[in-house]
Amino acid sequence: MITGFAESQDAFAAALLHADQPLPPGITTARGMADAARFAVYRNNVFVGLTGALAQRFVVTEQLVGTDFFAGMARAYAQDHKPRSPLIIDYGDDFPDFVAAFPPAGGLPYLPDLARIEVAWTQAYHAADAVPLDLAALAEVSPEILPDLRLVAHPSVRLIRSDFPVGSIWNAHQQDEVMPVSDWYGQAVLVLRPHMDVDVCILPPQDAVFAAFLLNGASLGEAAQAAFAAAPEFDFGAALLGLVNLGAFCAFHPDKGSNP
Amino acid sequence: MIRSTLALTLAGSLATAFASVAFAAPLPAEKMVGNEKCYGIALKGKNDCAAGAGTTCAGTSTMDYQGNAWKAVPAGTCTSMNVNGHMGMLTPKKG
Amino acid sequence: MTTSRPVKTLPQRAGLGLKPEHYKTILSDRPDVGFFEVHAENYMGAGGPPHRYLEEIAALYPLSLHGVGLSIGAARGLDKAHLARLRQLIDRYRPQSFSEHLAWSTHETGFLNDLLPVPYTEETLARVVAHVDETQQTLGRPLLLENPSTYVLFADSTIDEVDFMATIAQRTGCGLLLDVNNVMVSAVNHRLDPFAYIDRFPVELVGEIHLAGYDETTDAAGDRLLIDAHGTSVRNDVIELYRYTLARSGPLPTLIEWDNDVPDFATLNAEAARADAMLSAAALQHAKGRAA
Repeated sequence: MITGFAESQDAFAAALLHADQPLPPGITTARGMADAARFAVYRNNVFVGLTGALAQRFVVTEQLVGTDFFAGMARAYAQDHKPRSPLIIDYGDDFPDFVAAFPPAGGLPYLPDLARIEVAWTQAYHAADAVPLDLAALAEVSPEILPDLRLVAHPSVRLIRSDFPVGSIWNAHQQDEVMPVSDWYGQAVLVLRPHMDVDVCILPPQDAVFAAFLLNGASLGEAAQAAFAAAPEFDFGAALLGLVNLGAFCAFHPDKGSNP
Repeated sequence: MIRSTLALTLAGSLATAFASVAFAAPLPAEKMVGNEKCYGIALKGKNDCAAGAGTTCAGTSTMDYQGNAWKAVPAGTCTSMNVNGHMGMLTPKKG
Repeated sequence: MTTSRPVKTLPQRAGLGLKPEHYKTILSDRPDVGFFEVHAENYMGAGGPPHRYLEEIAALYPLSLHGVGLSIGAARGLDKAHLARLRQLIDRYRPQSFSEHLAWSTHETGFLNDLLPVPYTEETLARVVAHVDETQQTLGRPLLLENPSTYVLFADSTIDEVDFMATIAQRTGCGLLLDVNNVMVSAVNHRLDPFAYIDRFPVELVGEIHLAGYDETTDAAGDRLLIDAHGTSVRNDVIELYRYTLARSGPLPTLIEWDNDVPDFATLNAEAARADAMLSAAALQHAKGRAA
């Protein structure tokens, strides 16, 4: 007995998402009885659609683990993680966290950070457009205000700091023949889209702290001091010019404190 | 570091960097080896086919992956990813 | 009459779904396509290549905006944030047409990523009418409501699907989008006559037709079960049903939907050319019919 529209949709949704549940009450066929194969079309559409969306977004992740493993992992994610909005372009933003906590993938400790590059890729692709900061503007800043300067991150910028060479691993999968990555060291990977194309860049190791501080809203002085403390060989000028040149920022302002 | 010293240090470092600005552009990965002046390693992705997933208003006759047939062992390119054999080695955790 | 601006509408031609893999081909080759249709939700990112390409293409071709996520058939309220996003997109691109589905896809558990069926009762009718009203008020324009393809029936449905849609249109002033493939899919799945469906459909309210390819399987009892898969060219029986529809309605803007296993642009364009030829024939027939 169906009590109302909302209750009937609740029952439909519950049966849709859990294959072990009985068919929802009230559905039927021209033969006058419910048919499991017909309801299964809806179940199938939901899960094939969601896992397919993940496979389209996490291309390298899928290559690394193989299609069968990926399908199982994506299915497990989709079971408990439905899109929060109809914007499928955002689906899987927290898939890397799921991968990190997914025991069967535990033997591949670099996999979550690799997946984070792929999250950042799509986010950068769809991020707001902005004109990157011009080097010339930076050249005109007077030395005494330099330490207090705060840079505004380009809307597309994402930084992935990993204990693993995830930039090199990602790069190896952009070729038809995937070659092993033999130089095994932690990498900071900057993903951004200053213009039409998404760029992926492995930062010099000593610049990772500096980039992370700046992108979190720290002033140049704060970021430089943190970077020097982490790596004495840090070269402030080279790092700042390098990041600006990549298009990582779109403005700067000389505020003190509060305004990130 | 006191603030005025910091300002001078940063300004000096920046001036030096500007003087060698011709080297500041990122290099493609294959040109990186042995070149200390470039900034970072620029990786070339497949930009043309990477809009990510789109919506669909279609159904599908492709069958949903059956979880019970699933072998929980990664079997893609990860098996050949690192020749040195340490951090990335495939060692599936038990339970 | 002197103050009214010409209403922008889709041309009585075949159009194609716009796919990212075809952006560059379209801009370089400028194919003779009647219009392009996009899924609204794929253009709700803040920026980037999708918007830049769509702006260029919308400057060259009429545009149809097709929503797949509004969940007009939901028992609970519409997603206000999503309506606002739609409004923004419509203000930005000023498409010739905006359409959505008679279906639901959003539930408290999240977005379910499928077009789910609605029972046809007085209660659900009132709910859908309220949602269409709210949508049209928020967007400031009428929408076209699309008939669904369905795989199950509801025991408590009391209203026929054609009557259900016609009543929504009558109460809200919305137009209708007639998906001829969906008519075939649902008719086969529920042992109904697709031609009788077309005979009864209020074609004078139709602003656009959809065509697509279905897949075929069987249900647990071995009965034919068609799936609205959009992964092949339009099947012959749907082409015949389309011809039958045009004989009744006259030429109407007609979209070829091919969303899965998207082929190269030339293959898509050949599908559009076939529909265009049928539209031309229908226009001639219709002119003769009027003259007679």
